[in-house]
Amino acid sequence: MTVTFDLINTVYNAAMWLLTSIGLRKIFDKCGLMGLYAFVPGYRYRELGKCSRKETEGRICMILEVASIVFGAIGTAIDSTTREGLLLELIAVVSAITLVILTIRIAAGLCRTFGTRKFWILLWTLVPAVPALIWGYSKKYQPIYLNREEEDEILAGTMPAELAIPADAGDIGAGEAKDGSGLYIRLRERTVWDFLRKRYLLKDICLTIPNGSLVLLLGGSGSGKTTLVNAIIGYEKADADMILNGQNIYENYDKMKYRIGFVPQQDLLRMNDTVIRTLQDAAELRLPSNMADKRKAERLEDVMDTLGLTAGCHGLVSKKSGGQKKRISIGMELVSDPELFILDEPDSGLDGVIARELFQRLRDVADSGKIVIAITHTPDRVVDMFDKVIVLARDSGRVGRLAFYGSPNEARAFFGKQSMEEIVRSVNRTSEGGEGRADEFISRFAVERTDSLMLQENGKEGSSDEREA
Amino acid sequence: MSGKLEYKGRLSQIPIYLGKLFRMFVYQSDWKALPMAALIAGLVTFAVGANLFKTQEGTLQGGFALVCVCIWNGFFNSIQVICRERTIIKREHRAGMHITSYVASHMIYQAFLCAMQIVIILGVCHLMMVQFPEKGLITPWFMVDLSITLFLITYAADMMSLAISALVHNTTTAMTVMPFMLIFQLVFSGGLVRLSGDAERITDLTVAKWGLQGICTLGNYNSLPMVALWNMIFRFKDIDLYGEKPIAAILNEIQSRDMLDLVLQKSGEYSQNAQYVYTVENLTNCWLHLAGVIVVFALIAVILLEFVDSDKR
Repeated sequence: MTVTFDLINTVYNAAMWLLTSIGLRKIFDKCGLMGLYAFVPGYRYRELGKCSRKETEGRICMILEVASIVFGAIGTAIDSTTREGLLLELIAVVSAITLVILTIRIAAGLCRTFGTRKFWILLWTLVPAVPALIWGYSKKYQPIYLNREEEDEILAGTMPAELAIPADAGDIGAGEAKDGSGLYIRLRERTVWDFLRKRYLLKDICLTIPNGSLVLLLGGSGSGKTTLVNAIIGYEKADADMILNGQNIYENYDKMKYRIGFVPQQDLLRMNDTVIRTLQDAAELRLPSNMADKRKAERLEDVMDTLGLTAGCHGLVSKKSGGQKKRISIGMELVSDPELFILDEPDSGLDGVIARELFQRLRDVADSGKIVIAITHTPDRVVDMFDKVIVLARDSGRVGRLAFYGSPNEARAFFGKQSMEEIVRSVNRTSEGGEGRADEFISRFAVERTDSLMLQENGKEGSSDEREA
Repeated sequence: MSGKLEYKGRLSQIPIYLGKLFRMFVYQSDWKALPMAALIAGLVTFAVGANLFKTQEGTLQGGFALVCVCIWNGFFNSIQVICRERTIIKREHRAGMHITSYVASHMIYQAFLCAMQIVIILGVCHLMMVQFPEKGLITPWFMVDLSITLFLITYAADMMSLAISALVHNTTTAMTVMPFMLIFQLVFSGGLVRLSGDAERITDLTVAKWGLQGICTLGNYNSLPMVALWNMIFRFKDIDLYGEKPIAAILNEIQSRDMLDLVLQKSGEYSQNAQYVYTVENLTNCWLHLAGVIVVFALIAVILLEFVDSDKR
C-alpha cells in the first residue's frame, strides 16, 4: 500500500515538474530568455527571477532547489529516525518554507510583469503547472512592463563596446582647475558582488571640479548618484582616483574625512537631543581637538547664523520643522568647514521658497572657495545658482555612466531641452516614463569629449611649435 | 591654527557620547526603566520575598525570581539602544566616531542604569519587609555582596542584549529575538528545570546559572532548613492504617518535643547542593563568570558595529 502511494506521489511530482517546465519554456520565450532553461533544475528559478524582476529571489531559489536535490539524494541513504536523518529533515522543512515564501514573491513579480490579478499567486504557489501552461501557451498573457527593446536592455548584460568610454580618455574641466586644486575624479569602475556575480554600478567617470563651484548632480533613480557620491568621499571605495586639492582621498582617508562633509538624504539626527547640543557635539567630533574652544564656539555661532538656527536652538530636534531639521543636518557637517561638501537631496520635503533659501546658503558656502555638490530631484527651481551640472545615466547594461558634465546652459544645448527635469526624463528609461536615450547621450558625450581633448592636445602642440619657431 | 591637526581620540570621544546618552535619559523614555524596575521588584518580593534567605526552597525560588528581574531589566535596558540609531551611527562613524568610544559610553551609561535599578530593587525589598542576613561573604556586609551580585547579573544581561542590538538592524528584529534569549536564560539556568548531560554543560553559558549560584551561595543555602519534606509529609498526616494514624502521631511527637526546627535543619543537610557551598572562592567564581560574560559581549558588540559601514542603504 505504502509502495503504491509513494509511487503515485513520485509520478505525480514528476508530471507536475514536467508540465511546469513545458509552460515555463513558453514564458521564458515571451520574456526573451532561452526556453530550454526551463528544463534545467534550479537554473529555471534563476531565469524565472529575471522574468519577474526578482533576480535575488530567483538565485536563492536556484540554490535551494539544487540543495534539496543533493540533500534528497543523501536522505535516501540515511535512516530518517537517526539524528542525522532528523537533521536533514529539519533542513528540508526550513528550505521548503523559504522556497514557498520566495516563490510567492516571484509569483507576485510575475503577476506585475504580465499585468494579471493577484489570485494567480496562489496557483503559482500550489500548482505552478497550471499558471505556467496557461500563461505560456495563451496569447492573452504577455509581459506588459516592457517592450522588446527594453527587455533586451535588462536581460542582455553590458553596454555595447562602441559606447564604452576608455578609462584613460582624459578629464573634463581640468583646464579650469589650476595647480592641482579642486576635485579630480577618475572612476574606472565601481562594482559589487551579488551572489557570486560581479555587478557594475558605475563605470568610466572622469572629470575635474574647480574650487568655488556649486555642482548639480542629476540622474534618474538607480543611475548611481549616491553610489558616486559615496565613492567620491571614500566611504565606499571604487576603482578610482579621487584627488582633492592635490591629496588622494582614498590614500589619506583617515585625515581627509574631516575635510569632507556629507549630508545624507534622511535627517539622521537624534530627535530627543537639543539643537545646540547636537551641533556642539558635531563640532567636538569634527573640529580639531587642538583648536581653541573660543574658535570652536565662534565657528558654531557662525554656522548657526548662516543656517538660521540660532533662534530656538535650545529646543529639541524633534520639535523642529522639516526644513529646520534639514538645516541642522547640514550644520552638523558644515561646522567642520569642509573643503568638499556633498548633499544628497537636501531639499526633499521642502517647499520652493525654503529650498531656494537653502541653496542660496549653499551658494554662499561655494563662494567661499569650497566645492559643493548637491543631488536634487527638483533642480529647476534652483538651477540658476549652479555652476556645473553632472548628468549620470544608466546605460543598456544597467551601469551608471557619465552622460554630461558642463554648465547648465551647455547642458540645455547638449540635450536640446529647456529644463533639467526634461534632461533627466530624456535619459530615463521608457518604463520609468522617460525617453530611454541614455546610450545615445553617453556615447555622444564620450565622442565630443574625445574630440575636445584632441583639439586641446593639438592646440598645445601647435603653441609649443610656435614657441620653438 | 598651525601645526598638525589632531582630532578627538577614543578616550576623549567617550564624554561626548556619554553626555548624549544622559540627555536621552532625561528627554527620551529611558528613565522609565527605573519605575519599571521598582514595579517588577515589588511584585516579585510580594510573591516570594517572605521565605527568601530563610529556607532552602524560599531562597531558591526567591533567588531565581530576583535573577529573572535582573535579566529582564538588563535586557530591556539596552535591547533597542543601538539598533534604533544604526543609521545615525553609520553617519557618525563616517564623520570620525570611534566604535570603541561609542560602545564604551554605552557601557558606562548602562552601568549607571543598572546600578540605579539595583538600588531601587533593594529599596523595594526593604520596604516589603524582606529580611536579609547581615554578614557578607566577601565584604563584611551582606547587602554590599548582594548588590554586587545583582548588579553583575543585570549588567551581564544588559551587555548581552547590547550585543544583540548591535547585531540586528531594526527594533522589530531586536524585540523578536529578545524573548528567545530570555527563555534560553531561564530554561538553562538549572534553577527550575533539572538538566543533565550535554544540557547541563549549556547552563555554564547562561547568566542565570551564575547569578542564581551567586545568590544561593551568598544566602548560605546549604545551611538553611528545608521545609519541602515536612510539608509533603504533613499532607499525608490523615492516612489511616488499621484504625491508626501513624504519620500524624509522628508529626505530633516531633512538635510536642519541640524538634521541628531540628528536623527541618536535618532535612536541609540532606539536600545540600555542592554548587552553593558557602565559600569566598565559590562566590568569586560566580562574579568572575559574570564579569567574563560582560567583557565578551561588549567585545562582540564592538566587533559587530565595526561592520556598520557595510550596511546596505
